[in-house]
Amino acid sequence: MAPAQFEELRKLADFSFLLQGITFTVYSDGRGTERLFPFDLVPRIVPHSEWERIERGLGQRVRALNLFLQDVYGPQRILKDRIIPRSLVYSCRHFCRQMIGVEVPRGIYTHVAGIDLVRDSKSGQYLVLEDNVRTPSGISYVLENRQVMTRTLPRAFQLHDVLPVDHYPAELTQILRRISPRGGDRPVMVLLTPGIHNSAYFEHTFLAQQMGIELVEGRDLVVDCDIVYMKTIHGLTRVDVIYRRIDDDFLDPLAFRPDSILGIPGLMGAYRAGNVALANAVGNGVADDKAIYAYVPAFIRYYLAEEPVLSNVDIYLCSNPEHLSYVLDHLSQLVVKAVGESGGYGMLIGPAAGSAAIADFRERLRANPRNYIAQPVIGLSRCPSHDPSTGRMAGRHIDLRPYCLFDGERVVIVPGGLTRVALQAGSLVVNSSQGGGSKDTWVLRGDA
Amino acid sequence: MMLSRIADSLFWMARYMERAEDTARILDVNYHMMIEQSPQAYRLRWDPLVAITGEQERFSTRFEQATPRNVFEFLAFSKENPSSIVECITSVRENARTIRDRISRELWEDINSLYHEVTRYNPEDEIAVGPHRFCNYIKFGSHSFHGVADDTLPHDEGWNFLQAGRALERAEMTARIVDVEYHKLVESAAAGDAAGNHQWMAVLKSVAAYEFYRRQYHAGIEPEKVAELLVLHAQLPRSIRFNIAAVQQSLRAISGSGPDAYANEAERLTGKLHESLMYDRIEDIFARGLHTFLADVQKSCRSIGEHIARTYFYYAVVA
Repeated sequence: MAPAQFEELRKLADFSFLLQGITFTVYSDGRGTERLFPFDLVPRIVPHSEWERIERGLGQRVRALNLFLQDVYGPQRILKDRIIPRSLVYSCRHFCRQMIGVEVPRGIYTHVAGIDLVRDSKSGQYLVLEDNVRTPSGISYVLENRQVMTRTLPRAFQLHDVLPVDHYPAELTQILRRISPRGGDRPVMVLLTPGIHNSAYFEHTFLAQQMGIELVEGRDLVVDCDIVYMKTIHGLTRVDVIYRRIDDDFLDPLAFRPDSILGIPGLMGAYRAGNVALANAVGNGVADDKAIYAYVPAFIRYYLAEEPVLSNVDIYLCSNPEHLSYVLDHLSQLVVKAVGESGGYGMLIGPAAGSAAIADFRERLRANPRNYIAQPVIGLSRCPSHDPSTGRMAGRHIDLRPYCLFDGERVVIVPGGLTRVALQAGSLVVNSSQGGGSKDTWVLRGDA
Repeated sequence: MMLSRIADSLFWMARYMERAEDTARILDVNYHMMIEQSPQAYRLRWDPLVAITGEQERFSTRFEQATPRNVFEFLAFSKENPSSIVECITSVRENARTIRDRISRELWEDINSLYHEVTRYNPEDEIAVGPHRFCNYIKFGSHSFHGVADDTLPHDEGWNFLQAGRALERAEMTARIVDVEYHKLVESAAAGDAAGNHQWMAVLKSVAAYEFYRRQYHAGIEPEKVAELLVLHAQLPRSIRFNIAAVQQSLRAISGSGPDAYANEAERLTGKLHESLMYDRIEDIFARGLHTFLADVQKSCRSIGEHIARTYFYYAVVA
């Protein structure tokens, strides 16, 4: 394809995103400007055998994480058997005491999980970089990217046998229907959004529409006698299932942050009474804490008696004095992360950091070691990508976030996931807030 | 099943779109009428335009006197005027964005592209070429909005809130146009200004009723006849009566009340206003005073809006 022709297609794709309002919000400029999520027309291709391995690895990981949550808020066998230190679990910021002893519908905590994978450029192996089992976002880009790609490059899909992804909303709806406490064929299900100013708002509207469920804000709901209702033009209607995209802290001002205006007073009471189902469950943050992460391979062995298919990236827990002293001596070669943060915030990338930033992190690590972990810099694999500044193809670093749905028995993963790409030459940071973009991910039916 | 917040957004989305279109119509027609007039008549022409949109106070804190330039800028583009066309279109889109899961993809894309197009206009360029290009685009935008809405949304409760919002806004706007213009016309006639006829032609054109008037009355432009047409005509889509009837029809469809009953205060007030628009003659209205009558219409419209909100959007929840 000639560069001019490629450029034309690229503009067509961009225009399609703008027209549909597929944008995210940048807060740093104070105005909350909407931007297009940069999209790279060159797809990332995953052969089928590679995908099967990923699928198996993610399946066992999600089941183990769910069993860990059942256990830690229930009998706590894993603590009694000393597989993981009690102090590490209890000191986790997202460990939720209010959840101890709560029976969640069908025992499901991690209805939706987004597991971030990277491919080590040396070994060629996929490694797990992070688990996200609170309110992972990004699936709408997977679905929209695919739609724009099929419109822009229809012939490419005729030439390759690419596995479809568009059944995701139906699978998620199915799971939500199953957890309704009232049962019945037509439970009232809603998607709870913080509102129009949230950076993932587009995704919330997209999913609600695709799933055919009501998109609600906190102010649309009210709790009376432990029953959740929504306010309709003809009065109150009982709500059975809430797919919530609001963090735990903001869900219910009576149970958590009293200054939250996004939440619904009394929601936790209704949840604990079993009158409403929440997806994902409350308190999941204890499972995707970046220090707990170090123990997930042990969870897989402990709960499933299986060997992990996908390995972790090596990790140093700063709460461990030996690890801490190693990390302090090698700060300029390591990536340091705060354990409870996500989205690329609270991070130090040693090789790229100045001496002031390193000194700053040294102080922070000494002051609160439990709050930090460190990992070696992974040589992220690269994928051919279009560089808009030169108009040429060049290798750019990528990662992969597949979306895993868990119905209590099966883990369903739409083939592929969100491939994020660091569009700046040499950059390792793929977050959209820091100049990252995305690509369509093609899992092929065969290995060709 | 319809969330109160969604009904609220549909209602206001339509109101803002109508406000943008009405403002564009008024600007467009009057600007071109003005070109044919003497500069002395400027003040008489431009002040009322701001008055019609109800933003005199905000305008006078910014400008000492009205000029074609500052009125156009203020009504079409100003970010400081929440009723400016660009701000209205922005509000249409903000409302649509909060309910985009509930409207058709086509409608959302139509609104979104209108918004992106409108914010691309450069005020200086438009002032240089005159308002027609911009205003015409807004009119098309509004027509497209309603066409797409009618053709892609289910004609359910939500659609009825959309219809009610548009009709209520339009009824109030027409009442204000007639009120302000009639007042000014009386003034200019007293001052011996022969431009009165032109003003009334402008009014008729701004509500797309000029040709209809000619056919209907085969007469010169007489203020009483113009008023009769714009206030009382049953089939003219921008007359007050036509729009109050539309509000009534939408509200009944939402509540399911029959022709001889009302389900809430908004319906009662709408029905009462519609009765008077049906059975009053223009002579009766002039006998009572046109201004008084139109002031009452505007008051009723505001009241109806408040009661729609109280009944459907912000009802008290006893929990």
